[in-house]
Amino acid sequence: MELLSILTPMFFTLVTAGTVIGIIFGAIPGMTATMAVAVCLPLTYSLGLENGLALLLGLYVGGISGGLVPAILLNIPGTPSSITTTLDGYPMTQNGEGERALKIGITSSLIGGLFSLAALYLFAPALADFAIKFSYIEKFLIIFFALTVMAALSSSLLVGIFSGFLGIFISLIGAYDISRGGNGELRLVPEFLEYYLESGFSLLPVLIGLFGLATILIEAEQGMKEGQSLSGVKIGGKPFKLSIFKGQFVNLFRSSAIGTFVGILPGVGGSAASILAYSQEKNFSKTPEKFGKGEPAGVIASESANNGLTGGALVPLLSLGIPGDSTTAILIGAFTLQGIQVGPLFIGNNPVTWDAMIIAMLVANIVMFLVMVFAIRHLAKVVTVPKNILFPIILMMCVVGAYTINYGVMFDVWTLLIFGLFGYLAHKIGLEIAPFIIGFILGPSAEIYFVKSLESFGTFSIFFTKSWIAGLLWVLIAISIAFSISVAWKKNKTENE
Amino acid sequence: MSFDSPFHVTIDFDTSHMIFPTIIAIILGILFTAILITRGRTMLATITNGPWWPAGIDHMRFFGTLVLTVIYFTAMPSVGDFFPNTGLGFYLCSIPYLFALSTLFLHERTRRTLLIAGANALIAPTIVWYILSELFNISLP
Repeated sequence: MELLSILTPMFFTLVTAGTVIGIIFGAIPGMTATMAVAVCLPLTYSLGLENGLALLLGLYVGGISGGLVPAILLNIPGTPSSITTTLDGYPMTQNGEGERALKIGITSSLIGGLFSLAALYLFAPALADFAIKFSYIEKFLIIFFALTVMAALSSSLLVGIFSGFLGIFISLIGAYDISRGGNGELRLVPEFLEYYLESGFSLLPVLIGLFGLATILIEAEQGMKEGQSLSGVKIGGKPFKLSIFKGQFVNLFRSSAIGTFVGILPGVGGSAASILAYSQEKNFSKTPEKFGKGEPAGVIASESANNGLTGGALVPLLSLGIPGDSTTAILIGAFTLQGIQVGPLFIGNNPVTWDAMIIAMLVANIVMFLVMVFAIRHLAKVVTVPKNILFPIILMMCVVGAYTINYGVMFDVWTLLIFGLFGYLAHKIGLEIAPFIIGFILGPSAEIYFVKSLESFGTFSIFFTKSWIAGLLWVLIAISIAFSISVAWKKNKTENE
Repeated sequence: MSFDSPFHVTIDFDTSHMIFPTIIAIILGILFTAILITRGRTMLATITNGPWWPAGIDHMRFFGTLVLTVIYFTAMPSVGDFFPNTGLGFYLCSIPYLFALSTLFLHERTRRTLLIAGANALIAPTIVWYILSELFNISLP
């Protein structure tokens, strides 16, 4: 009954609004689902947890889905996760099949999203029940494992690990938290900033800076290209029929499963999911030569995989407290705002919120499908919205978000600028932002788990001998490192050849 | 932290705040050295051959965005001090900031595009200020 009291018209309106705004963000090249969630996060402050999550989950699903519009119509991926959609989607548009390609992509997105939602509903509670038994040692090893997985799937192993550890290091700035058993002493803080940095950098201004301001600085550096023109783009043409999916069930299932699995791995983005699914479909296809020339199977693989990521990325977040990607990392902020900690106890202690999240994701996927199928001709026009109007508004919203998050602290606005510049520099020198963010979020917990374990047991060997779970985690860590070394070695070999 | 044997350690609570940062700093140092060793040549080649930053970027829009943003952030609390707890510091500074930024990003400054930028600069902060400050009582600078 408590759940019914949450499922108000406001709840459904927020999911719908979030999904539509998310689609718009996703459809505009340069703006991502992560940016949409980061910019709108402060608005959830006054909405309450369930309504706030309804808005943010709508933004997440819409943002990931919207990227297919410019990818198919203009050959420009709206979000990184729709890179492989351009490979066959745009040739279909050139062949006069734009609308058909869009609807294939939208239907595949729906199926991928629903598949991953089912996986989230089944796996997250089971994983959380298992994780409740974890001591500080297993929790520390889980974080260590998450960092090695992130590094393994980064474009460069060393840079990925370095970025993750840099995130941890910056998260340690400030006092060693007394409320979690620390001694309250300050570290890594210059004397003149002690007043401002007693609790370190706030998470949300950091996120808004990295994903909001940094993106705009990168666009400004490139001259803030004007909105694209749709003139000459054929949206109509050959009609869409569901029969196109005949013989594509294996592709749909495999690509959705790949997307969900990649989502579960911490810190790995949607682009990895869609690239992996696309290459698998091409490898298994009887007609691989058709890929890249307007093959619908390519669009199906790419879009079902990137939406498969949405539910998958929430599994480690809600069961272990470890975000699956940079967008779910920002969702942690929504829980923080309402004073709720995500981790193994979350689902058991908050069953109504958990059910509301599942319903919000379900509704968001359905709304995304309906809005995009029936309004696609109008929505396609958002790719032409001028950036000189949009980006100043986004910057203003970034400021509002950073300032209000701690009830009006101007230093948080400067934090936004500092991390906006840092994000820009990271982009220039090739640092990886996803491992950095996850390191930043998990750093303080990793410290507590590590130091308290040593205080209690007085030996490093406890990290290997505590339990069979610790042993299993070391095996997974070793596999992850071996995998990354093997990938790096193969890459070097290919480059040398 | 003191080492009693290779694996055994004793943690001194008073200095425990520095254990983890020290370990992470050492790891960062090792990783940085490893990056320099493995990618040093490529990095050196990029530095010596490629154009130096900020060559090749849109100077006006990039540095203009930065300068306007710093002025905006500095001005908000100062203007806000004249109208405490009203959010007017944010509102009054956002209007010129949005107009200046929109104009800076424009490629063709015609009467029509400037009018749209001006209308946007007036309407967007008004809506945000009214909803957040007046309706929801959320503090703004």
